[in-house]
Amino acid sequence: MAQRAVWLISHEPGTPLCGIVRFSRRYPTVEKRAKVFNGASYVPIPEDGPFLKSLLFELRLLDEDKDFTESRDSCSRINKTSIYGLPVGGEELWPVVAFLKNGIIYACVPLVEQTLSPRPPLISISAISQGFELLFGVQDFLYSGQKNDTELNTKLSQLPDLLLQACPFGTLLDANLQNSLDSINFASVTHPQKQPAWKAGTYKGKPQVSISITEKVKSMQYDKQDIADTWQVVGTVTCKCDLEGIMPNVTISLSLPTNGSPLQDILVHPCVTSLDSAILTSSSIDAMDDSAFSGPYKFPFSPPLESFNLCYYTSQVPVPPILGFYQMKEEEVQLKIMVNLKLHESVKNNFEFCEAHIPFYNRGPITQVEYKVSFGQLEVFREKSLLIWIIGQKFPKSMEISLSATITFGAKNHAKQPFDHICIGGTAYLKLHFRILDYTLTGCYADQHSVQVFASGKPKISTHRKLISSEYYIWNSKAPAPVTYGSLLL
Amino acid sequence: MGPLSRETWAQRLGAFRASPSAFMAGPEGEDLGRDLLSDLRSEKLSEQTKVSLLALSLEYPAELWPDTPAAEAAVTSLLDTLDLLPPRSSALRRPLLLAATTALVAGGALGPTSGASLRLLPLLLGLASGRALGQGIGPSSEQRPLQATACECLRELESCKPGLLGGYLGLLRGLLGQGGPVGPVQPLSLLLALALRNTLAIQARARASLQGLLTARVSPTGGGPWNWTLAEEGDAHLQPQVSPWLASEEEECGLSALEPSPEEALELRAAVAQLLDTSYLLTPVAQAQLLWQLGWALRGLRGQLPVLFKPQLVRLLGTAQLTLLHAVLALKAAFGEALFTAQDEALLLHRLILAAQHPALPLPAHLFYLHCLLSFPENCPLGPTGEEALPLLLEPQLCCGLLPSLLLDPMALLARLHLLCLLCAEDEEKEEKGQGQSPRRYLEELLASLWQRAALHGGPRALATLCFQASYLVAHCLAGQPTVLRPLIRGLAHLYRARPVLAPHFVDLLDQVGSELGEPLRVVLQQEVVSRPGGDEALGWHLQMLAKVADRDAQSATLSFLQAAAVHCTNWGLQQALLQVCRALLRAGVGGGLADLLQALARQLEDPDGRDHARLYYILLSHLSAPKLGVALGPSLVVPALASSLVAENQGFAATLMVQEAPAPIQLSVGARRAEGPVPVLQLQVEVLEPVYSLELRFRVEGQLYAPLGAVHVPCLCPGRPARPLLLPLQPRRPAPTQLDIRALYTTTTGLTCYAHLPPLPVNFADLFLPFPQPPEGATLGFFEELWESCLPKGTESRLWCPLGPQGLEDLVSRHLEPFVVVAQPPTSYHIAIRLPPDSRLLLRLEKAQAEGVPVVLRTDDWSVLPLVGDYLRGLATAV
Repeated sequence: MAQRAVWLISHEPGTPLCGIVRFSRRYPTVEKRAKVFNGASYVPIPEDGPFLKSLLFELRLLDEDKDFTESRDSCSRINKTSIYGLPVGGEELWPVVAFLKNGIIYACVPLVEQTLSPRPPLISISAISQGFELLFGVQDFLYSGQKNDTELNTKLSQLPDLLLQACPFGTLLDANLQNSLDSINFASVTHPQKQPAWKAGTYKGKPQVSISITEKVKSMQYDKQDIADTWQVVGTVTCKCDLEGIMPNVTISLSLPTNGSPLQDILVHPCVTSLDSAILTSSSIDAMDDSAFSGPYKFPFSPPLESFNLCYYTSQVPVPPILGFYQMKEEEVQLKIMVNLKLHESVKNNFEFCEAHIPFYNRGPITQVEYKVSFGQLEVFREKSLLIWIIGQKFPKSMEISLSATITFGAKNHAKQPFDHICIGGTAYLKLHFRILDYTLTGCYADQHSVQVFASGKPKISTHRKLISSEYYIWNSKAPAPVTYGSLLL
Repeated sequence: MGPLSRETWAQRLGAFRASPSAFMAGPEGEDLGRDLLSDLRSEKLSEQTKVSLLALSLEYPAELWPDTPAAEAAVTSLLDTLDLLPPRSSALRRPLLLAATTALVAGGALGPTSGASLRLLPLLLGLASGRALGQGIGPSSEQRPLQATACECLRELESCKPGLLGGYLGLLRGLLGQGGPVGPVQPLSLLLALALRNTLAIQARARASLQGLLTARVSPTGGGPWNWTLAEEGDAHLQPQVSPWLASEEEECGLSALEPSPEEALELRAAVAQLLDTSYLLTPVAQAQLLWQLGWALRGLRGQLPVLFKPQLVRLLGTAQLTLLHAVLALKAAFGEALFTAQDEALLLHRLILAAQHPALPLPAHLFYLHCLLSFPENCPLGPTGEEALPLLLEPQLCCGLLPSLLLDPMALLARLHLLCLLCAEDEEKEEKGQGQSPRRYLEELLASLWQRAALHGGPRALATLCFQASYLVAHCLAGQPTVLRPLIRGLAHLYRARPVLAPHFVDLLDQVGSELGEPLRVVLQQEVVSRPGGDEALGWHLQMLAKVADRDAQSATLSFLQAAAVHCTNWGLQQALLQVCRALLRAGVGGGLADLLQALARQLEDPDGRDHARLYYILLSHLSAPKLGVALGPSLVVPALASSLVAENQGFAATLMVQEAPAPIQLSVGARRAEGPVPVLQLQVEVLEPVYSLELRFRVEGQLYAPLGAVHVPCLCPGRPARPLLLPLQPRRPAPTQLDIRALYTTTTGLTCYAHLPPLPVNFADLFLPFPQPPEGATLGFFEELWESCLPKGTESRLWCPLGPQGLEDLVSRHLEPFVVVAQPPTSYHIAIRLPPDSRLLLRLEKAQAEGVPVVLRTDDWSVLPLVGDYLRGLATAV
């Protein structure tokens, strides 16, 4: 269940090596075991330099991908998971867990407690999921609340000490590195005996509980006969419980209004102590029926110190909040576009902001735009070949707005204008960006009175809600558009 | 050397980390380990610097202290440093314990004879049990973190030396205690779980019972020697883990060999329940480790133990935590139906499907879950294990959300495409139900979009690669489905038409796929290329493509394409590409038109190298038979990795077209004499050790004794198959024996022409004997007398004594001289007449045999044969 080594590599395209090892840690006692377990199939951990080179090549992050290279581009080299075999010194180092996120490559080599030839199935290797969890933990630590490079560097410099705490011998003790940082700071406090390992200390101060529900709505709209529009709500319930005592118990209930859409696919934080089977079984995979469980959804738990995501859910609301169509036609050197958007009457017409981004890919810069909008303003970004329609805080009374425009483009310049491999020919989209505060599309809310806290003192309870758009696409209905299987199930 | 400054150390550590091997090979390498240990005690260095020194020793102990004695000394030094720390709080205690543990294990020093081990182990156990051996190591505020660290160190030692803590299970259980734990729960739980698992495994292998190990309460401060019993047992050493996925029946029996007594079973149950009950206090990753360990520990053990996991499952199934769900799958694999009913299995599968697509989870987790789904440990598996397949309970409609779409990341797209292919394969089996969208149609549309993207002019290589990976995956999974392959071939041909620059990908695809797709695709691509005008701007790619797909079919179209293309091959690269196609055609056995083309190329190409090659190919085509040509142009057996294709090609020619000298697989011997015909003929027996074709045997006689001998040809010889004797006519110029020098030229099964020098064969005097034509009946005596008289006066007469062996005269004559007897009056006299080519005669009169021999009177017309006759007659008695 241990890791043989861990690396953090920043991907820096354009530099000679295309990357720099920002952090690495090896575990010699685990390596010792690897040698015994893997036997003749054992491949030692390489030094940072060769590892970097091999990993970047495998992840196609080197700049030189112009020519066909069989060891990388051969059609039979198929990776279906983030787990790779790296050629190192004539042998293959496997399994290497690695992924790129925000310009940083997270990588580790999990210990396989058996021979590597034949390769055992990944599912049978316990250290694989531990490795993922370690890397996710490092990623969360680096990016939680991080705003700039200086902060990132500070956090990177804390990593050696943190891993000494959270993963001293290669076996991960806690993926929550913030908790490890806290436990270093809490070290001098005397602990009660039943202190959970995921809680570095106890809170002292005014009791309060904060619950916020954030729903993201995604949509793919086609305005076509044979392709169904799709949309989905994904909710996250975040809690911060400042409560005294070692393990205060809290129960939060999420409720729906009478016509609310049932919550599905609920995943909970590990601190939740028990789950109703109705919550466990309500899923979007099965066909929906009227008897779907519609709450209240009770989550009893004992909270950690820090802010955490109590649960995630999805939901299938009956209609998308904004329904629209986008028509784009190419006429000689010009593009003619027409956009129509309609806010559903049930949706709160009070946005923090609402914009439609209309990008034009694989074309030159915009040289000329003639347009007419029924509402809001249009901003033109000529070099980026982008139009932004700023709709503002409210839709007009009719709830329906439209835009029509004729656009002329200059000569294409590959270096400057955006390239896209989906928006070929007439395939094009507009993307909606909006946010509505104190509102959820499902209607889901956490009633202050339904929050039960078994701890000393009456806590102050605050609740927040918001709806955000995410991947909200409206595709040009006059050309082919990428579809998901679900869209074809008419 | 005095202690180094902080800056010097920082610099040194930086240099070391940049490349440990280079640093250790440098001048400072040797002293690093020693300096590090001594500077840990330096008062000039800050704790922070010392921690960084210890951090280095945690990562590179084998570089710092490469052998066991050095490691042993290092651990002792680290423990001394620990003892010397002032009693106030210090950041060094924890890393010192970690460093000592690491050095001990990495240096291979852990064992009952190591002094350092005997110091470290009781110290750790004392710390872990909350009593620091009365030494008062560190202030009380540090006790709890040190206790946790000591547990971690012990866990690592137990991992590397299973059974080390086998004697202390009772103690550890006591620390977790009924009345609340006497220490941090997580490190103690994990330590106990590991020690328990190792103990059960060791005892089961040794076919021993638990012997009260679960309850024995040894005092850690008792000062007694460390209990090495379990760790030193024969079977206790580190062994590759048998995972629950791969365990076969017999291995499970291994653990079931352990039959705990009812009391022991109760204790075991209590220990496991105790660990599971407090597991919610552990971090999620530690909970997962606990479940894996206990799953491993209890798998195969008889009794009701798996049920203990049940209360945890609902809680675990609700989380999104990768490690926890993975651990549940491990339990599923380990216990199957004993823990999961059919309904539980369905629920677990549903949660897995959900997790594999939940928008709140990151992509790597999705992909891993998808792998888990296709490797799902089913209660009743049907298919072969080890291969990804659809679990039985996974109905197609449950997978809707898991099907690929263009908007996905390439890796996700391929993973989901694989699932789609599996569904299509199943769909085919079940017959189409005609409801809704069939997976196969969806697959077709998806592939079409992929091809469209790959066809995008100037698009990145990664898109093309993805498209070909997808095509390969489909061809691989659905090779038996023509309904899928047909559109696949069409689409690929279309893609080639749009973007010939992808030729290397096509070549690679053709190399990888089976013949179901490969052959029809080759034909289509060949047509695609040859139907174009020769002067296309993508000519280089077309030629590369054609070199792969050209074959005997569509010869004339191919040749006319090449003829048209030749005009446009103005640079060396294009000419070589063109010649590569010619070469492929040569190999395929295309004749006629190709010869014309090659001749034209040999005249017309600008580049002399190109012309030479064309001429060479022409010569090969006109001189070699088709199979030989195939071998000559086939892949060279000795392709050097880095040489250019031309070099490799030339080496291939050299090997195939040159005659190789080889040890002969042929054995020749002289068979029975045939005294007949106008000239002496040698009968040769041939045996071969391996098949030999087109054998030519060449014979040569030293000097001018014989006229030159003709070669003997044999089309084919196989070992074990009797060959007819070969007849070699001899034409002596004088009647004299000699030696034949023999050389063999032949072709091997691999098409190589070989040459071998065989051992020489003797031609004996008697091999030259020929009889005179038989005179008419009754005239024999007169005939002989006539010959006898004619020898003189030109010739000579001589008398010889021919010794007789035990067999007597009659036998001697019948064995050696039978064909030459003219007049016989057995047993008293024989008249023998021998013709010696070219034109000599030898006449013998054998008279009445005496006790040990027979007197012989001989006459010959050739003086020179006398000594030979003498030798011959004297040798007859001993000759076989």
